[in-house]
Amino acid sequence: MFRVPATVWLTSRARAGAELAFPFVVVAVAWQLFAMYGPMPPQLFPSVDKIVASFVRLVGNGVLAVNALTTLIRLVVGFGLGAIVGVVLGVLMGRSRWAEDLLVPLVSVGNPIPGLAYAPLFVIWFGLGDVPCVLLVGFATAFPVAVNTWTGVRAVKEIWIRAAIGMGAAERQLFRKVVLPGSLPYMLTGLRLGLARAWRVLVAVEMLTSVRQGLGWMIFGAREFLNTDVMLAGIAVIGIVGLALEKVVFERLEQYTVVRWGMMTR
Amino acid sequence: MRWRPIVGTAISFGLAGIAWEAFARSAVLPSAITPSLLDVGQALWGTIRNGTMFVHVGFTLFRILVGLVLAILVGVPIGMLMGRFGLIERFFLPLVSVLSPIPSLAWVPLFILWFGLGNTAAIALVLYAAVFPLVLNTWTGVRSVNQLWLRAASAMGAERQTLFAKVVLPGALPFVIAGFRQAFARSWIAVVGGEMIAATKWGLGWVVFDSKEFLNTDVMMGTLVVIGLLGLAFERLVFQAVENRTVARWGMVKTVKA
Repeated sequence: MFRVPATVWLTSRARAGAELAFPFVVVAVAWQLFAMYGPMPPQLFPSVDKIVASFVRLVGNGVLAVNALTTLIRLVVGFGLGAIVGVVLGVLMGRSRWAEDLLVPLVSVGNPIPGLAYAPLFVIWFGLGDVPCVLLVGFATAFPVAVNTWTGVRAVKEIWIRAAIGMGAAERQLFRKVVLPGSLPYMLTGLRLGLARAWRVLVAVEMLTSVRQGLGWMIFGAREFLNTDVMLAGIAVIGIVGLALEKVVFERLEQYTVVRWGMMTR
Repeated sequence: MRWRPIVGTAISFGLAGIAWEAFARSAVLPSAITPSLLDVGQALWGTIRNGTMFVHVGFTLFRILVGLVLAILVGVPIGMLMGRFGLIERFFLPLVSVLSPIPSLAWVPLFILWFGLGNTAAIALVLYAAVFPLVLNTWTGVRSVNQLWLRAASAMGAERQTLFAKVVLPGALPFVIAGFRQAFARSWIAVVGGEMIAATKWGLGWVVFDSKEFLNTDVMMGTLVVIGLLGLAFERLVFQAVENRTVARWGMVKTVKA
């Protein structure tokens, strides 16, 4: 048996790590030099050590955690609402000709309009605070979910449906055992797009509807006191959470469903 | 069969319009909050007639176009270099993959502090929103250029420069255009949102936000219609035309004939 010596494995691992870290080090050094010698005053352009220090401080005293958690709760509620509405609409549009004719034009016109543009309207309709925030997130989520679910339902192979009917499947069974799994890859794409959109809208809308807490609110509030280090720490958390949602949640979900069923290879 | 989608569209918009009109006139909610379609139309026509709408549209388009051009100038070369040279790829890819998922609007408060309210902040925002899709798509495009074409061209004696201009660039173009589309969609959101938060004096996002203060719901909804139509027009007319002129004409992608 041939075994790679541990030292070789370690060094190659360390090298890969160093390679990955190198660009960030370069950027950090450039940032630091600019902060120290550039034309921007230090309140506006904090040095790297200050950013790291306030990140550690905000993690330590729980401020970041509380705000991130609030934002995540809003995300889950809003995204959940939007996903349910979107899937229901998409399935309706895919299964009934009548619903398709009526809803598809509305959905395809509504889809490209930035959801955030509705924020002031939602504030007028639903007041300030959490309600318009969550509803807008749901609204923004529903469109891509509906469009993709619709495509997915229509992409279910005719022959599968006929085979199931031939074998005596009732309408309900047909839906649960054939249509739903068959359209799942598209549905998951829609949910993924919807979640990405929901996340983007949520961070911005938290700046507009004067909510109590949340990452967007934190960044926006920090502007008043010129706390640029807090802002950058908040932006970093937003990036990390966004990446985690994409990588951890959806790739897992795909792994357990469509990839396992052999409908998609990864 | 050709008239069916048109009739369907007309009926669906008609029904939606009637439903809204009934709701607006039923006075369940005060009419200041739910203006009738007539009010919305009148408000929109008012802003068109006195010309303010054109100024707002002009400001928004100026910001997005300058931002997009800058993003192309920055993003496409970086993407190209990343696709051609492994060293540059290994430098930029980690940075791009970390920065790309951060919503551009999260940067608004910081950009306001750095660039002040107004055009510079909005343009910087568009640049941030647009540059990553362009980089990533160009990078993918360059890497997906058929190896056979490259070898054929060099066998026929193409210089580095010719190879690049005649093979790599056109070969990557479908991806670059796809990236540009994505970049536009993102910057459209960024510019409207940015104008709301970085309240300047002009711009479509600012109108929507400002109408809230005075409960001018009719102006607000009229502007939303304009935002939607402009976005749709760009998507359907501009990008479709660009695609038809280039990659579709060269037979690299099949476009759906409308």
